[in-house]
Amino acid sequence: MNEHSIRNVVIVGGGTAGWMAAAAFSRFLNNGYTRTTIVESEEIGTIGVGEATIPPLITFNGMLGINENEFVAATQGSFKLGIEFVNWGGIGQRYFHPFGVHGHDLEGVHFHQLYLRERKRRVMQDISAWSMSSVAAAQGKFARPAPDAGPPLSQLLYAFHFDANLYAKFLRAYAERGGVRRIEGKVVDVAQRAEDGFVESVTLADGQKIEGDLFIDCSGFRGLLIEQALKTGYEEWTHWLPCNRAIALPTTYQGQPDPFTRATAHPKGWQWRIPLQNRMGNGIVYSSDHMSDDEAESVLMANLEGEPLAEPRRLSFVTGRRLKAWNANVVSMGLSSGFIEPLESTSIHFVQSGIARLIALFPDKRFNPVERNEYNRQMQTLFEDVRDFIILHYNATKRDDSEFWNQCRTMKVPDSLTRKIDLWRAKGRVFREELELFGNTSWVAVALGQNILPEDYEPAADALDEDKVAAALEQMRQDYLKAAERLPTQAEFIARSCAAQAAPPPLPEFVF
Amino acid sequence: LRPDAISKVVIVGGGTAGWMAAAALSRIMGDIPTFAIELVESEEIGTVGVGEATIPQINLFNSLLDIDEHDFVRATNATYKLGIEFRDWTRIGHRYVHPFGFYGIDMMGVEFHHHWLKGRALGDRTPLDAYSLSVVAGLEGRFEHPRPGQPKSPLSRIGYAFQFDASLYARYLRGLAEQHGVVRTEGRIVEVVQNGETGFIEAVVLESGARVEGELFIDCSGFRGLLIEQQLKTGFVDWSAWLPCDRAMAVACESSADVQTLTRSTARPAGWQWRIPLQHRTGNGYVYASAHLSDDEAAATLLANLDGAPLADPRPLRFVAGHRKQAWVKNVVALGLAGGFLEPLESTSIHLVQTGIARLMTLFPTRNFDEFEIARYNRLTEQEYVDIRDFLVLHYKATERNDTAFWDYCRTLEPPEGLAYKIEMFRRNGRIFREHDELFTETSWLAAMVGQGIEAGGYHPAADILPDAETLKRLAHIREVVAQTARAMPVQAEFLRDHDSASNVSLKRAS
Repeated sequence: MNEHSIRNVVIVGGGTAGWMAAAAFSRFLNNGYTRTTIVESEEIGTIGVGEATIPPLITFNGMLGINENEFVAATQGSFKLGIEFVNWGGIGQRYFHPFGVHGHDLEGVHFHQLYLRERKRRVMQDISAWSMSSVAAAQGKFARPAPDAGPPLSQLLYAFHFDANLYAKFLRAYAERGGVRRIEGKVVDVAQRAEDGFVESVTLADGQKIEGDLFIDCSGFRGLLIEQALKTGYEEWTHWLPCNRAIALPTTYQGQPDPFTRATAHPKGWQWRIPLQNRMGNGIVYSSDHMSDDEAESVLMANLEGEPLAEPRRLSFVTGRRLKAWNANVVSMGLSSGFIEPLESTSIHFVQSGIARLIALFPDKRFNPVERNEYNRQMQTLFEDVRDFIILHYNATKRDDSEFWNQCRTMKVPDSLTRKIDLWRAKGRVFREELELFGNTSWVAVALGQNILPEDYEPAADALDEDKVAAALEQMRQDYLKAAERLPTQAEFIARSCAAQAAPPPLPEFVF
Repeated sequence: LRPDAISKVVIVGGGTAGWMAAAALSRIMGDIPTFAIELVESEEIGTVGVGEATIPQINLFNSLLDIDEHDFVRATNATYKLGIEFRDWTRIGHRYVHPFGFYGIDMMGVEFHHHWLKGRALGDRTPLDAYSLSVVAGLEGRFEHPRPGQPKSPLSRIGYAFQFDASLYARYLRGLAEQHGVVRTEGRIVEVVQNGETGFIEAVVLESGARVEGELFIDCSGFRGLLIEQQLKTGFVDWSAWLPCDRAMAVACESSADVQTLTRSTARPAGWQWRIPLQHRTGNGYVYASAHLSDDEAAATLLANLDGAPLADPRPLRFVAGHRKQAWVKNVVALGLAGGFLEPLESTSIHLVQTGIARLMTLFPTRNFDEFEIARYNRLTEQEYVDIRDFLVLHYKATERNDTAFWDYCRTLEPPEGLAYKIEMFRRNGRIFREHDELFTETSWLAAMVGQGIEAGGYHPAADILPDAETLKRLAHIREVVAQTARAMPVQAEFLRDHDSASNVSLKRAS
């Protein structure tokens, strides 16, 4: 600690992003001199609608020392092994984007190259037959692999579905236990330093003034500090990702919770399906240019499996990113930093990633621009990588049943994506670059699922004996099947280790 | 804003009493812009807090302060308590429990204990303990929150309190108080400035020379009563004739596997020994009469009766049972030990601070310090001390023990008038009346009188509204329901874990 150390961190807004940040700070800034305060208003609703996540959240939980079973039980959570995409490559088609890897590399040659070569020789099953997570998901099975589990079970990788409001509540308890101070109130004024615009304090409706050295803007789309005060600017990506509306609606449950998220393409948008322990989260994402809100709502209502548990909630958004995620002494996180539709369940990951990077580049009161610039560069890369990957789903399709799909299929995609598609199309090459979130498995699954077949495979694959490779592939496929068969169903696993607490059983009574 | 409003309160001393007062006052009045609270304490002066047991009223105090129970339990290493177990009080080898909560259930408009007395007359000798969920669950170390939504369950009205580390409690309250604007000043007081004319305290002067001025002073300086006694010479009402214990020897020891959700009091040859199990250790102490036992003997007896290895040397404390003649004199209100002392046999120390604060809030003065209002404060405070004293004396007086001069003295002493009346009323036909607003309820008096071996001569005639066989059948049913309910409650360790209330030692800094 020295005179430059940050003493007061103020988080504005207490949705999922705010409480994730608060929880992480309560652990990593617990240094005896930095105090974290979070300001939230119960009047302002949060967006959290039932969230799907990706595997890095396991790391976040681990960093915070959160017991995974307790976390799942407290959030009505379930496990997720990947995403099933229905009607995306073409109507009637489905594919699975699994967590984890496809198969095993042989003699230094990527599994998917061997698969591509084999596909040229004979009719092959979908590549998902070589993913532990896919095969288990197809059977509705789940178990957390033991730390010492060998292959193929050790390849099973998972993430979570949960109720975002319960998640915020869970993190709030964690953060408050760690000393984070919560102040209830609506921010009505932001005081900025005259010379450089640094935020000095926020004032609440009751007159309370909260001063800080570093502000975290978790105020949602509007960006109370990052945009309304600092006028940072926003880069819109709607020409690539035209969806700008969503309607969310929870329904009752039927059967067992599937261990995967489902994204079903509709003629003018797509619908999510997120199974929790107690209900199903559903929602439709669409473009207001192509469909009215009422039409979208009727499409959603016509495609539900259970009974609605609430009124449909309408949300609107603009896809894009804040030009600087970190401006002056304000770091935006969550929706205030940008938005990309939840097709690949990345919303919570953006927050987590922002938190981890901020901790790694944590400033002092001098706010060295080197740290800020590096943070902004890394966040920009992350947003753009995810953007490109999402665009791939819309652009690589055979669908021509609506103006919406025609526009998506024929649009000019970012150059960065064109280069990747070209590399893939030629010889099935995937290179994970720098900080890129989606790796080899993701590209292979989605590119094949969206019907982009490489013309050829890497010559290196030809070094291996075709019959031996064919036999090895068949052995792997059998191993995945057998391993999945031995797993419990997700419902069994939850009941055993992380069922949400039911109401207490009735007690005996005096009866006369 | 009233022109005569008090703008500055000074709390002298920062033990449990001082920080309770600071937290409560700041919570209620801290937002008045012209109102300030300053607490002066010195880290050189230790506090007495040795591991405290409380009674259910503490829940009111906690909710006034908006304290999250699980957070508080974790922060103070607290355990839950459902009552107090008394061992060897009536005679050596005997035990009973004074539960929080109720016995059985009133039936046909007649109090339960009359049905129980009738059952005894009919030959059912089952002890009263079997009808109290607090007792059965407490002895088995179980705990669960009350379930008011299920009125026919014995869990609907169970009462509970806590046992905690008093110094952690003070620290916890300090956090709350400082959040609400209380200013803490470190320093030893070397001088008290009194107005030459009125005798009101105007300021205290610290060793550093700093002068802390105030309009209302709350004396939480402990036994010595820095303001109320040393300065204002208020005088003390000495009750040692009724409560001859004047020493305590305290020591903490390692936790044992025996984890009842009860505080335990075990009678000894010249007094009694407390046992207060916390999450991380157990507090113990021997309260004794110096006229009957030397300090060394007390320490030896204490150390010989621990159920874990001692964690320090026993620490001696001295006191005199009784109370300050007036708890509020001029502009000084005495709270905690500065106001009086009653041995912790019924865990009342923190409660007395709490009610003192509540009364002060009700009668919060202006700079005029109205004598008429102050008189009420003092009258109610004295009444509360008297009520608790009588209940404590009952434990010493109603005993068969004749194994030492100490017990002979206690058994044969002349009880205070109010106590004598209560005992006699119960001896006739088992009648118990709670007088005015006294702290201990009918259930408490019943528990202690029956526990201490006082026999009721009869039961309420209206209990005969139930035919004899029906009375016996219902008594058996009640016992069964109580036992079943206890079995459905988790043991304390499980409860703490499930509610995330267990404190755990970690490498993290204390927040």
